[in-house]
Amino acid sequence: MRNLLHDMNPSVKFGVVTVSMLAVAFFFNPWTPLLFWVSVLALQIALSRINWKIWLLFMLPFTLGAFGYLWTTVIFSAETGGTVIWSFAGLDVTDAQWTTALSLSFRVMAFSTLSLMFAFTTDPVKFIMSLMQQLKLSPKLAYGIMVGYQFLPVMKDEFIQIQQAHRLRGADTEKHWWQRLFSMRRVIIPMLAGAVRKAERSAFAMEARGFTGEARTAFYRPVQVGRTDFLLAGVFMLLLVGSCVGGVILSAP
Amino acid sequence: MRVRESVFTLESVSFRFPDDSEKTLDNISFSIFRGERVVISGPSGCGKSTLLYLLNRLYPVNCDGMVSGNIFIFSKPAELYAPGEINHRIATVFQDPDSQFCMPTVEEELAFTLENLHVPFAGMETRMVEILELTGLADLRHANIQSLSGGMKQRVATACALIMKPEVLLLDEPISHLDPFTAKEFISWLDELQRQFDLTIVVVEHRLDAWETFFQREISMDGNGEIIADQDFSARRPILFPERVSAMSGETAISVTDLSVKLKEKMLLNSFSFKAKRGEIVAIAGPNGSGKSTLAKALCGIHKKSSGRIQSDGIGYVPQSPEYLFLTQSVKDELAFSGLASREELTELMERLGMDGIKEAHPFSVSHGQKRRVAIGAMLADKRPVLLMDEPTSGQDEAALYELFDLIDGRARDGSTVFIITHDMEFAASIADSVLLIKDGQLTGKFAARDVWQNEQLLAEHHLLPPKGVAKLAESFA
Amino acid sequence: MLKSWKLKEIVLMSLFGVVFGIVYLLFIHLGNIWAGVIGPIAYEWMFGIWFIVSIISMYIIRKPGAALLPESMAAVIEVMLGNAVGPRLILSGIIQGLGAEAAFAATRYKHFNLFVLMLAGIGAAVFSFIYGYFVSGYAALDPSFVALMFTLRVLSGAIIAGVGGKYIADALLATGSLRGYAISRTDKGDARA
Repeated sequence: MRNLLHDMNPSVKFGVVTVSMLAVAFFFNPWTPLLFWVSVLALQIALSRINWKIWLLFMLPFTLGAFGYLWTTVIFSAETGGTVIWSFAGLDVTDAQWTTALSLSFRVMAFSTLSLMFAFTTDPVKFIMSLMQQLKLSPKLAYGIMVGYQFLPVMKDEFIQIQQAHRLRGADTEKHWWQRLFSMRRVIIPMLAGAVRKAERSAFAMEARGFTGEARTAFYRPVQVGRTDFLLAGVFMLLLVGSCVGGVILSAP
Repeated sequence: MRVRESVFTLESVSFRFPDDSEKTLDNISFSIFRGERVVISGPSGCGKSTLLYLLNRLYPVNCDGMVSGNIFIFSKPAELYAPGEINHRIATVFQDPDSQFCMPTVEEELAFTLENLHVPFAGMETRMVEILELTGLADLRHANIQSLSGGMKQRVATACALIMKPEVLLLDEPISHLDPFTAKEFISWLDELQRQFDLTIVVVEHRLDAWETFFQREISMDGNGEIIADQDFSARRPILFPERVSAMSGETAISVTDLSVKLKEKMLLNSFSFKAKRGEIVAIAGPNGSGKSTLAKALCGIHKKSSGRIQSDGIGYVPQSPEYLFLTQSVKDELAFSGLASREELTELMERLGMDGIKEAHPFSVSHGQKRRVAIGAMLADKRPVLLMDEPTSGQDEAALYELFDLIDGRARDGSTVFIITHDMEFAASIADSVLLIKDGQLTGKFAARDVWQNEQLLAEHHLLPPKGVAKLAESFA
Repeated sequence: MLKSWKLKEIVLMSLFGVVFGIVYLLFIHLGNIWAGVIGPIAYEWMFGIWFIVSIISMYIIRKPGAALLPESMAAVIEVMLGNAVGPRLILSGIIQGLGAEAAFAATRYKHFNLFVLMLAGIGAAVFSFIYGYFVSGYAALDPSFVALMFTLRVLSGAIIAGVGGKYIADALLATGSLRGYAISRTDKGDARA
């Protein structure tokens, strides 16, 4: 049971997550995103093995973001009328404004939870392999992406080394953010020059091993779509429709 | 007599890059036969890698280059092969261990290769197990490639080539980024594999001494992209550097006491104490990961020291990629960046370092040797008379090593103290006054150079090969 | 479309995406937390950073797709790394890329001067804003506030992505490392165009 979300086909999961987000975006009542948020959370608790401590750490900035959304929407929401429910520092907040603000904040929470579910339960390499096998992503692009992915730690290290070298030369004295923005060039140029070199070398190495970019006939790790994937997708869709319908009913005056 | 089967036949082949006005390869003709072990030698930039890319069909398509003459691969005109068709019969291992992979783990990288060849699913597992056994990499099957050492990465690259069951193996300076100790291991490993697989091997290489008697035949090229000789291979002596007289003075330039570096409870350097004089050249050597780079970075202040004292007149650092230091768009500005040196001093410094010709050039666009010159210039202009150079010998050809020798010797003569991190004991023996040996974050000691070269056990403990030049010398005295 | 692409060009775009991903991660996290607190408008001024890789790639490679692909690939890599914005990042990457691509397509991939590059930055900004308007529910906000966000984003696209992208690509060209790419082959013709 607890493996279900981890074993789910990444492309199907990707599709489900995307469709859900697009669908929920149509609703401006607070109940739909709230219901959906709670159900995704419940699903995740039941069907995955997640380190919830790390999960909470990741959720923290989003919670803050949701709060930011709450108050900006309260203050800067469109004129919609409605009754004033409370006033603060000369600002009148109507019930309509409050409802949309809550809705948008819950939307942030629901989307973040959904995203984290994807991130925490999906193996990155399997995701690309699945995009290639299920969604017919071109192997040229898929392996191009893989090269970038596996180079990331190397290039991060390079970035730090360049910064260290620059510090040695006394080049990081800029205090203001606009100065830092300009001085970025100094770090970016050696990185990009290195990227040009690495790209050619890696591409040659791949071609020298017979990679032509044409579709593959057999995979070492076939990624399949099975019955459980349909079942899980069905459960998600049910929850989605349930949240949408439930939200509309609950928020009806 | 049996007719030898030709693998490659080139008939007056010339090659030019679209951006260039001059030919990179000029009128090249030779045949390579099945089972041969051939080395194509020549200085850096002579076009030997380009030649190799014509043999495995990466060129001309990838660079839109212009080829004239005829290239036959297995007696068929090269241009008649479809893209990728020839690559499983002719496999290639490249120079840079860090950028010839596209997947995170060894297993996935091998699988990538098998999938390229359209090997049916049922056959993949056996072939993978087989190649991992044969190459002795079975333990690394699930290892993350980028976490492996350079030597292991080159073995993985070779395994990826061999899993295609090729008839020919091309290697493009495969040991140039490996230290001599690892390089020697790699070559004997390759020697074994060649016998097992009955491969034709073509290697492009500029430093031949490490290969000992591996090859049968040598095709030498000159700087103009022409073949100057095609003959039986003879083992090379290591490069002989000029005799030098030490420039060491009596004045202490740097004094380190009880220097320790700790990172997250891990002791990277444990209580280092040593001194060096003005004009002294010190080689820093030890196994990979022993703390050499950490020491250099701690000395120049990039890494924070946990305890200890460093007293000096100013310490400069030249990383393995000197361009990491560059901040401006011209060599001249690069030296002037800190503003610590006067205009007269800068002019004098550039003259002394032989940089007059490149003053206006972009620091990224000059040769590797010149980049290092610019980096040293920048450090000296910043008034840092103690110089630390991280692996300056790695990947350098003979001419570049002579240039490096002169550069370092010249700085010592000017009164700088130069520390060189290197695995190359050949180079160290020719230039260093003293040797700092490091192992597992501990300082074994600072030795007078001449006391180290004969001590094979001490060298072996630090994964170093005794310099052959010195060994020869000792024999002649005995 | 992919037939005319060399593998090295595709890998190059991917690696460029990684470089800017790292820059974004390690450099521009200028007060991410306060950005959260002051709400969505805090991100607007630096949106251009997201578009820059499209503009640099197109300016260097000059082939149809050179704006769309790097942005999309960069988004996929971000998702692979477990970016918490998740799969919808891929969608926004594609949409931003399309926005920049549209500007180059409108000029038939013939001109790559500063004006067109800024236009591409604006294109990416407009496309991404329309998408954001929908997904993040800007419809619920005061129109003048939305207009302010829109203006900030367009300016950021034009200046950070357009001007900044050209500045960086020209600096890279000066290093001599772009031999063999379209940008080195065409001489200064565009400056006149």
